[in-house]
Amino acid sequence: MGDIKIAIRILVLAAIAIGFNALFTKFIWPEELAKEGPELQKLLRLSNSCDVLYFGESSNISYDPVKDSITTSISGLIAEQLPNKKLGDITHQAYHAGIYLPLIKRIPPNGKVKTVIVTLNLRTLDQACIHSGLETALQKQALYYANQPPVWIHLRAALNDYDNVSEHERDHKMWKQWTDDKLEVNGIEFPYPTIKTWCEAVKFPLPDGSEDMPKRTLADHYVKAYAFVIDEDNPRVKDLDEIVRVCGYKYINVVFNLLAENTDYADSLAGKSLAQLIRYNRDYLVKRYTAKGVIVVDNLEVVQGKDYTDQNWTTEHYNYTGRKAIANNVAQKLLMNN
Amino acid sequence: MLFNSLPFFIFLPLVVLIYYLLPFRVRWIFLLAAGYIFYGFLQPQFLVLLLLSTCVDFYFALKISESKNKSYKKAYLALSLCFNIGLLFVFKYLSLFLKDIDPMMANIYRAEHPIKGMVMNAIYFSIPVGISFYTFQSLSYTFDVYYGRQKAETSLPRYAAFVAYFPPLVAGPIERFHHLSTQIFANHKPLYKNFANGFRLMLLGFFLKMCIADNAGNYTDLVFNKPEDYASSSVLLGMVMFGIQIYADFSGYSLIAQGASIWLGIQLVDNFRTPYLSSSVTQFWKRWHISLTTWFKDYLYIPMGGNKVGVPRWVINILIVFLVSGFWHGANYTFIAWGAIHGLAYLAEHFTKPILNLSESKFKILRLIGGIKTFVIVTIAWVFFRANNFEHAKHIFKSVLKPLGTQTLEVTNFVWLVMSVFVVFDVMLYNKRIDSFLESKPWGIRWLVYAILLGCILMFAGTVKHPFVYFQF
Repeated sequence: MGDIKIAIRILVLAAIAIGFNALFTKFIWPEELAKEGPELQKLLRLSNSCDVLYFGESSNISYDPVKDSITTSISGLIAEQLPNKKLGDITHQAYHAGIYLPLIKRIPPNGKVKTVIVTLNLRTLDQACIHSGLETALQKQALYYANQPPVWIHLRAALNDYDNVSEHERDHKMWKQWTDDKLEVNGIEFPYPTIKTWCEAVKFPLPDGSEDMPKRTLADHYVKAYAFVIDEDNPRVKDLDEIVRVCGYKYINVVFNLLAENTDYADSLAGKSLAQLIRYNRDYLVKRYTAKGVIVVDNLEVVQGKDYTDQNWTTEHYNYTGRKAIANNVAQKLLMNN
Repeated sequence: MLFNSLPFFIFLPLVVLIYYLLPFRVRWIFLLAAGYIFYGFLQPQFLVLLLLSTCVDFYFALKISESKNKSYKKAYLALSLCFNIGLLFVFKYLSLFLKDIDPMMANIYRAEHPIKGMVMNAIYFSIPVGISFYTFQSLSYTFDVYYGRQKAETSLPRYAAFVAYFPPLVAGPIERFHHLSTQIFANHKPLYKNFANGFRLMLLGFFLKMCIADNAGNYTDLVFNKPEDYASSSVLLGMVMFGIQIYADFSGYSLIAQGASIWLGIQLVDNFRTPYLSSSVTQFWKRWHISLTTWFKDYLYIPMGGNKVGVPRWVINILIVFLVSGFWHGANYTFIAWGAIHGLAYLAEHFTKPILNLSESKFKILRLIGGIKTFVIVTIAWVFFRANNFEHAKHIFKSVLKPLGTQTLEVTNFVWLVMSVFVVFDVMLYNKRIDSFLESKPWGIRWLVYAILLGCILMFAGTVKHPFVYFQF
């Protein structure tokens, strides 16, 4: 008797919760979604009108509007070359495959979108990015992109049901990998076995006996950003695999836009093996995803050193010439495969 | 494991189900395992401390009980005290004395000297959750054995089941051995009444934590992080919001612990009784964090002579209790200031009682004035509790008296709505617990209350992460 009583009450509570979901969806959700999951409404809108969707991060736009003669984004420049297609873009700073994935899942299966171009930034696969302090906020946004009842998403956010570990814990994991992970690749001879030892060894002595610290800091950053070996256990690779799978059953073509990196600078700062490793990782991604039927546009070395907006950092921010070079490559591949 | 997390919503029903399916003789062993899983979910690296504290107190209590010689008993008690206080000192208070070291040093040490780095890391960044609670719970047992109020437990696992009992493990209520262990080893039947009462307590607890504390926390953070931006009325509002946040946070946690425990047939002691409706600071301390107040009364105040001493000594006793209580909260001088304010207010009330006794006045208006006075004192003291240091606290007060900013704290309509629900509930539950209060009400009122609380949780729970404030203590 007690069990039936409890079961009836649980059912009544569930009914009340369903009622509150309806109220919440109507009156509170739109404002909350605009704040917490800023790209979803745009995605749903574009999905009804665009043939091609471009998923990008800060690399997509102009970062130096004063020096840039033309500030058109990469996606805008691609669109100019595809007059018969309508291209929309979802651009959000620091987004990566793990955040594009829940957005791509929300594209209606039988909608207008036939192709998605996913920005593939090599640095998003490194430890610094995987364990970045921005990740908690990004993961919360990803939760809001899930296709679940709004009240449930709200409750999950309130219960912190997303990857919300502290910055300190992330920092700890990053340091551990920098210290413990061995750099081993066939055909590349690494001067140092780990990122930590590599960073410690890179030095730029000045004639007066002191050290060129800005240069050392930059070299240190280059090593941390690129000295890693991609394999299938990399969480971003898993996200990319999932993007391919999801698009497969939605009959959407996938294009991975592998961004350009300043390999010459990496070479001059940290030695040949770093540039070799960047190329090795590029080859891994191109081979893996070409085999899965994805169009991988390899832009790794299409942008010249002078066309990087940030000369003192590793960010993939390009001037107009750089953006144009990437856009041309992507557009050509799309036209070729059409 | 956090109460306000999805794993807990799976963990609790599962534990309850298995608990009642097991023969009652082995249930306590299962509860012991559940306690370690619960704690290990949060900080597996500190499980060893919990085990160590359990073993040490168990051993010394046994030694106290076996010793015929009074001075040996005293020595064992002192050793147990030293161990527990030492534990608290290393993991909680050492950072207070290492202020000059840059916290980033922990990273540098970790890279260059892994072991040193690990220690620095533990000291700086992760205080073992609940260490103040379980050490005090464990210490109460040693004291009780010493004073002859409690027979020493001869089985270590049975004693461990008392220390590691999961609902109050990380943030109380601080239980006593005789109250908890008799229930842990009793044969409980799964009663509908217990499930209903547990549900009511947990529902209110989650409402307080998720709707009130987490929403109030957003405003508190804004004001306390940048008081110079806000007009004085907004800084005042931020101060009040912190008072609401900490009360809702902590009492919410205690209610969830009580509710979860009732599902297992085990009653925990009450920790809060609408403290903000007190008409004096003295009354406030009979209603706020009751399990800690009674702990200090039984194991510090009374052993020092309590009120059976001369007035000067009594004054010192009172001040010691409040200062120690402040220091118990954390490694910062601001907590001591918080304790001192309460201690002085307590003494002031005591000595002015013959002239002005607002709390026991027969006039409602005077009791109301007493209530407002208490709320003001408590709110001012909370500033020290929340501030990072004295400079910060000064900055907050300065921003009230001579505001530098003009910005106003914009509290959304829905937050006002849930705050109103909170005030109504607090007044309605004056001197009552929600489970017994609802038990006597017709079903219509009961379900109306459930719907209101559930609706608030589902629709208005705060989505910014605010850990339980008392987890750091």
